[in-house]
Amino acid sequence: MKNWKKLLIAIIILGAVGAWAGYTFIYNKAHTNFEKAEPDFSLQAVTLFNDFRMDAQTAGQKYNGKVLEISGKLSGIEENDSLVIGVFAYDEGLFGPEGVRVTMLKNHAKKLLAYPKHKAITLKGFCPGYNGTDVIIESGSIVK
Amino acid sequence: MKTNISLLIAIIFISTSAMAQKYITKNGSINFFSSTPVENIEALNNQVNAALDTETGDFVFKVLIKSFKFEKALMQEHFNENYMESHKFPNAMFVGKVENQVDIDFSKPGKYQAKIKGRLTIHGVTRDISESGTFEVENDAIQGTSKFMVKVADYDIRIPKTVVNNIAEEIEVTVNVKLMPL
Repeated sequence: MKNWKKLLIAIIILGAVGAWAGYTFIYNKAHTNFEKAEPDFSLQAVTLFNDFRMDAQTAGQKYNGKVLEISGKLSGIEENDSLVIGVFAYDEGLFGPEGVRVTMLKNHAKKLLAYPKHKAITLKGFCPGYNGTDVIIESGSIVK
Repeated sequence: MKTNISLLIAIIFISTSAMAQKYITKNGSINFFSSTPVENIEALNNQVNAALDTETGDFVFKVLIKSFKFEKALMQEHFNENYMESHKFPNAMFVGKVENQVDIDFSKPGKYQAKIKGRLTIHGVTRDISESGTFEVENDAIQGTSKFMVKVADYDIRIPKTVVNNIAEEIEVTVNVKLMPL
């Protein structure tokens, strides 16, 4: 009888721990910290842009959903409402400059705004893809 | 002959473009909201490319599916991998026209009601839609907003039975774009 009680208590405890672990690590798991994430690819921003321009489908299969570390000289920095965007422009299209646009994390936005224009920089972030005009990088941080 | 035709098309295109007044943004926002008794799910995308030609009324927007941000990482993962299959269909797009463009004076500040008609592509499925919205003409920009419902089944988005009570059959979509002159 005592053994049955012990077994029941053990099952209840295991169930509770399992439910807590499921809630914490699966249902409520944290978003990826892209600032700390290891890059899947490190390349020049212009190479990334050209890869998508030459063959968007192949480049999409390679880079979409990946963490990229890109280097180059910024053409400009845009402030749009609460967003700060580093722009590497390599072409001019019907909708203005086209290239790679990096939307910065809040804690890196001010640092980017203070960064000298046209100085080489390396940024890291998540690549959701190419929208037909620009390659988009989000959750950007300054590497160096 | 081929070269002459290409040249003619290019001249027409360039002259048409020069006459037209285009307004664009590369950071418009689209928000969607699903409401059920079980839970509310909301996502925001502020990487929306949009363009409006005030001469012709042509209006387009394009959005990367992987740019939608959810409160919960697991929902974002399921949205991309299971429902929207963003690896196969990375973009959603609207191509259409402001139907009552003649009623809107884009040179005069004010708030105007707009009727927008066109083709919306989501999850690789394109459907005709007709929705209403507003254009608020400011001194240096045009603020466009529209709120409409999208039936997930219309776009061949399959929701697994296990979560069918968690996701609404119709999703409320809100488009908000601040368009600047090109």
